[in-house]
Amino acid sequence: MIHALLWMCLLLPPQSAEPSVSPEVLTLLQAGTDAESRSDFDQAIADFRKAANLDPTAGIVFFKLGDAYMKKHDYAGAISPLQRAAELSPESLAVHQLLGYALLAEGYASQAIPHLTMIHDYGALGIAQLQAGQPAEAVANLQAALAKSPDDQDLLFYLSRAATALSAQSLDRLLSVYPKSARGYQALGQADYEMKVFPKAMAEYRQAIAIRPDLPGLRLELGQVYAAGSEWEKAEEQFRGEAELQPGSAEAAYRLGNALMQQGKMKEAVVELHRSDSLRPNMSETLYELGRAAAVVDPNVAEHALARVIELEKDTPLAGQAYLALAGIHRKEGKTDQAAREMQEYSRIQNLKGP
Amino acid sequence: MPRRIPRREFLASLSAAAAATAGSSLSLARAVLPPKYFEAGATPDPGPIFRTKALKGVDFVLRNSPTPRKYLIETMPGGVALLDYNNDGLLDIFLVNGGHVRDITGSSISFDRRNPAYWNRLYRQNPDGTFTDLTEHAGLASAGDSNYGMGVAVGDYDNDGFPDIYVTNFGKNILYHNNGDGTFTDVTAKAGVAAGGWSASAGFFDYDNDGRLDLFVTRYLDWNMEKSKTCGSERPTYCPPGEFPAITNILYHNRGDGTFEDVSLSSGIGAKKGHGLGVAFADYDGDGFTDIFVANDVTNQFLFHNNGNGTFTECGLESGAALSENGKMLSGMGIVFQDYDNDGLPDLLITQLPHEPYVVFHNDGRGLFSAQELAAGFGVLSGNSSGWGVGLEDFDNDGWKDAFIVQGHVFDNVEMYDGSLHYRELPLLAMNYKGRFVKADAGSDVPVAGRGAAFGDLNNDGWIDVITTSLGEAPKFYLNRGGELHWLTLTLRGKRSNRDGFGARVRVNGQTRFATASGSYLSSNDKRLHFGLGTAETADIEIRWPSGIQQVLRGVKANQFIVIEESVP
Repeated sequence: MIHALLWMCLLLPPQSAEPSVSPEVLTLLQAGTDAESRSDFDQAIADFRKAANLDPTAGIVFFKLGDAYMKKHDYAGAISPLQRAAELSPESLAVHQLLGYALLAEGYASQAIPHLTMIHDYGALGIAQLQAGQPAEAVANLQAALAKSPDDQDLLFYLSRAATALSAQSLDRLLSVYPKSARGYQALGQADYEMKVFPKAMAEYRQAIAIRPDLPGLRLELGQVYAAGSEWEKAEEQFRGEAELQPGSAEAAYRLGNALMQQGKMKEAVVELHRSDSLRPNMSETLYELGRAAAVVDPNVAEHALARVIELEKDTPLAGQAYLALAGIHRKEGKTDQAAREMQEYSRIQNLKGP
Repeated sequence: MPRRIPRREFLASLSAAAAATAGSSLSLARAVLPPKYFEAGATPDPGPIFRTKALKGVDFVLRNSPTPRKYLIETMPGGVALLDYNNDGLLDIFLVNGGHVRDITGSSISFDRRNPAYWNRLYRQNPDGTFTDLTEHAGLASAGDSNYGMGVAVGDYDNDGFPDIYVTNFGKNILYHNNGDGTFTDVTAKAGVAAGGWSASAGFFDYDNDGRLDLFVTRYLDWNMEKSKTCGSERPTYCPPGEFPAITNILYHNRGDGTFEDVSLSSGIGAKKGHGLGVAFADYDGDGFTDIFVANDVTNQFLFHNNGNGTFTECGLESGAALSENGKMLSGMGIVFQDYDNDGLPDLLITQLPHEPYVVFHNDGRGLFSAQELAAGFGVLSGNSSGWGVGLEDFDNDGWKDAFIVQGHVFDNVEMYDGSLHYRELPLLAMNYKGRFVKADAGSDVPVAGRGAAFGDLNNDGWIDVITTSLGEAPKFYLNRGGELHWLTLTLRGKRSNRDGFGARVRVNGQTRFATASGSYLSSNDKRLHFGLGTAETADIEIRWPSGIQQVLRGVKANQFIVIEESVP
């Protein structure tokens, strides 16, 4: 992206008025411009440099010299003449744009930031801020740039890196300022969980809960760690704790219902999944799990829940799973024709996924 | 006559406990009955059901020869069989070895099977409980240099009263005919059962009820050394089966003259391609013909319904036994096809890779199955484990079949990918409490990369023992500590039916077993049918032989081994 922006900016003229220059300087500027048009950048640089020697106060001359270096992709060579141009023409946005890009391209991200700020190029500014260790600012500016170009892959790439850096920075800050805090342990627990170091994650979460037993989310996350290790009884205990702490949490009720189901406690699972469904209706996953659990204890409830999954999901894989589960229920009930139709629907949806 | 081995140390300690608590029947009962009969906390802990020990004379090591090239065969062996090859009443052991894997190119494939380190092994049990390696004497040393060993099936295919051995390989399979004098003869060429490619589990059964055992062979992949590749970018590892083409299984019909006919195509078996690993047999719909279930790795499971006319119809999907409850394909490996909830119908327990429970397909009757692993308790038993060999046996003789599963991940470097998974694992022992399984101490604290498992009463004490195989290691023996509950062990002797009685449905005091040596993973079990009787001192036995003959024996005394001959009118 940087290269593309660089080439675009080169089309822009300096915006400040220049004092008049001597005929010799004008001749050299013309010769240099002609050389540029022939892509003979070495000749152009030689002509512009002679002009700069003749008139070291002409901003346009230094701009053209820097511009020629940029076109030659010699960003290091461009920096010095563009800095001089900026001194001579501090209001010229074109000069600041080129200088900002040159500095950024050469790794002088901090120095590039003031120039890129002046021209409001949020994308390049965000990249510079990311490289300068300012991830929060980078995220904000890259998001602003993406608002204009939502699918720009370079911007998306840098935004993801900036967000990661911001997350790491925030975590470092949290752990350095509050190393023994509940949030600190929670963050460590989450990191260990993502790395699948479950025993360590469990210990971190337990520390967090010991410090702030009233903090919502801790038990939910600890329960998920237990669930990942198939320790469903312990997962149930944590999800139940979260559900008590947050009786209005559909997520906690859903997780609790799932943990109960994994242990074969289908009746209790149905109660919790029903509760989750009433707290946050029309969640397909909740309804599907409700259908699975109820299939054992109350097929009517199961059928209703699975039908709702199909209604919500249409032709997604989850709808296919719901058809399969319905077919199982109906086969058991002796409704073989209905089961056969549902198996056909299941197969149809499977085939939608392609070979 | 079966030999009764003296009670083990455990019983001695029980006697001491009983003496100490004399005068209190409750205390005495607590000392001798399994803990499930009492509330938690009030029960003296009798310790693990099994104790692991080395069997004197068994020096086998399963040499799978892992290489950096990660040839998939390296992580898949090997089988074990419990059989009484010399009919002395003592179970002997046959172990299948892998081979020496090298970077092999071209046609000159050798797995160094002439080297004794890579032989399969036959260990004869001696009357004192020790074992003697009789591999060479028995004529079983030659495993075929270009064969990498996988599994074993045992059955008396010629009804001469001596069990024969069929060994599956990556390469050519071998049928060893038991000569009845302690030796075997390789009759593969004559019998026409070499198959080829990558065979996995196999089993003898009589699909057409003609009184002769037929042979089914699962095949895993259309794979060879040249087609091999590794998966995983930074840390190469074994590729999943989906990276290689599926392949058909093979059904051989026993002609009765020592030869077999490949009827895979005409029977319909060959119409389905999969990634077959485990195989088990039972008559799931009670029509009198033995059906076949193939545990496939990441393809639909196959339930081959026996149409009774020499053909089969694959009906896994229609029967509800092809996919997980979530509609996902299973990574099916080991399998057992027996009745776990004492409703008289054979159910399926299938082991698979982590993150999904081992699957229980409950037989709902009318030819239908439903996934019941959560209700059966496996949701909390198997989430992060990889299961292979599996058995449903009544280890505590309480009248309910318990589960034993050997475990260990496929990848020998899985911990580098996922710290929650393990290449070496302990086996899972789950006791059956009226259809719900609860984890128990299997008596081992040494994790292994478990693969094969065979079940049987190794020391003829009425309590089922287990032998398992582990990659790169010696087999593990899990000897049942025994107890005071009653039992009955039956040996079927078919006359019109096949001599082993395979395919018979046997009901004893409300329990049902389907006579077979097949199931588990790559392995072959003690063909005798063991029943735990709880506190019952007698048993009523009902047998439906493959011939269709029904036979009933009432009031049979407990705690004995009996031979039941088919009563032909």
